[in-house]
Amino acid sequence: MWKNISFVLLQLMILWAIHQLGLFLTEWASIPLPGNVLGMVILFILLVSGIIPITWIERGAKLLIKHLTFFFIPICVGLMTLGHMGISEGIFLMFVIMLSTCIGIIVTGGMSQTISRKKEE
Amino acid sequence: MNTILIVHIVMTIAVYMITKKIYQRFPSPFLTPIFLSTVLIMAILIFRDVPYSQYEPAKNVITYALGPATVALAVPIYKNRKFILKHGLAAGVSLILGSTVAVVISLIMAHLFQITKSVSVSLSVKSATVPIALEIASLNQGDLALAAIFVMVTGMIGAMFGPRLLNITNISDPMARGLAIGTIAHGIGTAQIAREGEIQGAVAGSAMALTGVYLSIFLWVF
Repeated sequence: MWKNISFVLLQLMILWAIHQLGLFLTEWASIPLPGNVLGMVILFILLVSGIIPITWIERGAKLLIKHLTFFFIPICVGLMTLGHMGISEGIFLMFVIMLSTCIGIIVTGGMSQTISRKKEE
Repeated sequence: MNTILIVHIVMTIAVYMITKKIYQRFPSPFLTPIFLSTVLIMAILIFRDVPYSQYEPAKNVITYALGPATVALAVPIYKNRKFILKHGLAAGVSLILGSTVAVVISLIMAHLFQITKSVSVSLSVKSATVPIALEIASLNQGDLALAAIFVMVTGMIGAMFGPRLLNITNISDPMARGLAIGTIAHGIGTAQIAREGEIQGAVAGSAMALTGVYLSIFLWVF
């Protein structure tokens, strides 16, 4: 069991290092992308080019993705500092967000499904 | 490390695990782990009279792992790269159309009801993932605190109602489902839709990254 845990920890450290590299490069070369997105691109390139075999990071990555929701919870709890906003303004903004989110999801999903079904015909 | 920090981290983990179990038993939108955990932790903090500023160190520790977790999304993209490449055009067109529609609706509503510019800018970035959204908002003179809130609310709405909305509208194609949620509801939505299957997760993860890139270009040109 300890062997397993240290194995996953090592994989997490590789992912952490790639994230740091992404942060460093965006800063250093002033690339207008967030460091984590660049880190994702870097990892993808490393995997495709075979520099890092997928087995080196697969289990750590699986663990993080499985619990991705968890990492967002504390930021969402920050909504509690919203008390200063007026009720009517808050409700209006909620309505706008709700509307554009729902329509956006239907348009994106509907479009994608229609195109792929047309292609199959 | 101080005790309060550890207590808050352990509490967050415990609440998350409990809400996950509850959601497995009762899969209702209002019991989605992201929503229920947020509400429960807020309730605990308010009940114990703890201000958010005291919870913030725990937030910083947990959020720190969000970076490596985003990097990890390269794995499902890599594993499904042939599939994604094959459908790249359809996905790209839908992503651009969908996220543009979402932004335009917000901007039209904001214009009709004469919302100030800093608020409408914050609204327009809400489909991007947090680090990208904040970056774009600050480049366009948006309100950063509001932008973060809008992004979170969008993600939660997408995670809570997105999958059901797709069921109602008969969108069953795994790629379309992943794309729709990842494009509009970024990381929070991706976390939710990834439970449906690996294709959904991979497509949502790549869509989330690409939407961030697309929105930064779109709003810059606009």
